[in-house]
Amino acid sequence: MSLISLVRTNRSSNLKNHIEKSVDLINFHFNSNIHKVVIKANMCYYWDYSIGETTSPLFVSGLIDFLRERLSSPEVYIVESDASAMKCKHAFRMLGYEKLANKKGVNLINLSKDENKEIKVTTANKSYKFLIPATIKNADLFINVPKIKYMAGTLISCALKNIYGCNPYPQKFKYHSKLDEVIVALNKIMKPDLCLVDGVIVRGQHTKKLGLIMASEDSVSTDSAAAKIIGLNPKKIRHIVLAEKEGLGRIRYKTIGENIEYFAQRFPRKDQIEKIEHAIIKLGVSVLRKARG
Amino acid sequence: MKNGAKIKMINIGLIGMGAIGKIHFDNIMHLQKARLVAVADLSKKSRSLAKAAGVREVYDNYEKLLQNPAIDCVIISVPNFLHADCAIKAAEYGKHMLIEKPLARNVEEGKQIVSKVKKNGIKAMIGYPLRFSQFAKLKKEINSGCLGDVVSCLATHASYGPLYHRIANSHEQTSVPLPVPSWWFEPKLTGGGALIDLGSHMINLLRWFFGDDVSIVKTVLGHRFNMPFEDVALCFIKFKQGTFAIVNTGWYSLKPVTKVELFGVANTVSMSIDYKKKFSVLTSLRERMLGKILAQESPYYKELNYFIDCLISDRMPSPSVEEGLKDLEIISLAYNNAI
Repeated sequence: MSLISLVRTNRSSNLKNHIEKSVDLINFHFNSNIHKVVIKANMCYYWDYSIGETTSPLFVSGLIDFLRERLSSPEVYIVESDASAMKCKHAFRMLGYEKLANKKGVNLINLSKDENKEIKVTTANKSYKFLIPATIKNADLFINVPKIKYMAGTLISCALKNIYGCNPYPQKFKYHSKLDEVIVALNKIMKPDLCLVDGVIVRGQHTKKLGLIMASEDSVSTDSAAAKIIGLNPKKIRHIVLAEKEGLGRIRYKTIGENIEYFAQRFPRKDQIEKIEHAIIKLGVSVLRKARG
Repeated sequence: MKNGAKIKMINIGLIGMGAIGKIHFDNIMHLQKARLVAVADLSKKSRSLAKAAGVREVYDNYEKLLQNPAIDCVIISVPNFLHADCAIKAAEYGKHMLIEKPLARNVEEGKQIVSKVKKNGIKAMIGYPLRFSQFAKLKKEINSGCLGDVVSCLATHASYGPLYHRIANSHEQTSVPLPVPSWWFEPKLTGGGALIDLGSHMINLLRWFFGDDVSIVKTVLGHRFNMPFEDVALCFIKFKQGTFAIVNTGWYSLKPVTKVELFGVANTVSMSIDYKKKFSVLTSLRERMLGKILAQESPYYKELNYFIDCLISDRMPSPSVEEGLKDLEIISLAYNNAI
């Protein structure tokens, strides 16, 4: 059973201290030889962080400050990749990461332009080939900083789904018919050392300041707890179940810090009509998956 | 079509099948007095779609479409940087035209269009669908005097603009998000940001309400998304007839708002467009069942139907290209007078 910390914060408070608290609560150990630190934020299209869909640059700023206190002169890389409808060159600028990188002296990497190496991986008895970017492959510490949100097709997007964005191939829609398997496969070849969920502002039925920071070394547990918070059963979420089966982590978890119910009660859950719509989309995806064999 | 000649059916050529072009494409199918005979678009997919819908001629170049003598009028819904070239060529080929707003990227280009249109005796209209929306009632209220003198006005048009991804529409047969066309990121190609894109709607509407003459134009431009064009604009206008107006516009809001508030001496009125929840299953079911009826309620349909009526009855349509030029002049003043 993995340990998950839950810390309450608010936007105006000192994020660095709360990030520190959440990481320390799980007794995360920083090796002395860490030099290259890679931070995978969630930049979804060009959605502003204040909507709750993308990782806040303020949150990442707090994380960088914390890392610089704990590590000796770390080289920090913030990474994202191009997607079907999003280009990093615009996203970095529009979402405030270009400003952050200049202010903090860190590097922005478009993984789609990075050097890469082909890796084979098997998931659910199927073999896949993906390109692993050199920046991630050479990282001494790989930190996943996802959001916590609903997602058509996978029901939830949190730690596991955020790694999908490390796939440098831009035309990601080609994976949509086998999304769950691909998410798990990518997590197998690019497993983060630490998951740090930016739940300060979240978007469910609507946008809300939830004030949540969640830390864990286990992506599966992180998603399992995230599912609980947004009102879904993790055992009914295909990629979470598959990830556990493939040895990426455990659905069962133990929390430390705030009570998870505090956040579960406050998360702006989707109403029934939208849940039905998501179920229809999910059904459509599964029909498509079966049709394609 | 020669000027003044009465014809039974207008032949339309549609130039550009982007987001707005597709709205026109759908609406033309519901028109009684016009038909779509040709489409020009760079996208093979769009041309195939047009062919499949029974459009006789499809082109990958709008000049080829303009050379087609069977075409009476064109709808120009191409990116802003092509408006001038396309409209000038259309005028030279004697085609009447409905041009999407803004008229052009700047006053200079706008003047060239107006001059060419006048010289060739073309009926040319600017696509400002809000003129055919419920806001037309506000014009009647102002004219009726029931508000007294309108002292001030707040006109808001904020949405996610072009910068958020679009879910493919019903023509695309897929739910894959569409990338933002690259020209939207280049101010040289767009002529500006939210002010020229969305603000132009409200400036045209206010000019329609309060007249052409303005004495003061000042603007505050914002760059929330750190891009080289404004995504927030607050434009202060004083109309010579006395009304003070603020145009509040932006490309930042996930929840689109189009709202006009008029503050008169005798009364105050507020009106906004009710944007439907587009991705609801129930809404799309209703739209499928009542497709034609709902389409004919839309401002875009009314605008196009009016334009066709003007051609048939040999009237000059409004808003004209001259009005589009006046809007550009105010926008140009606003950019030059940014605080």
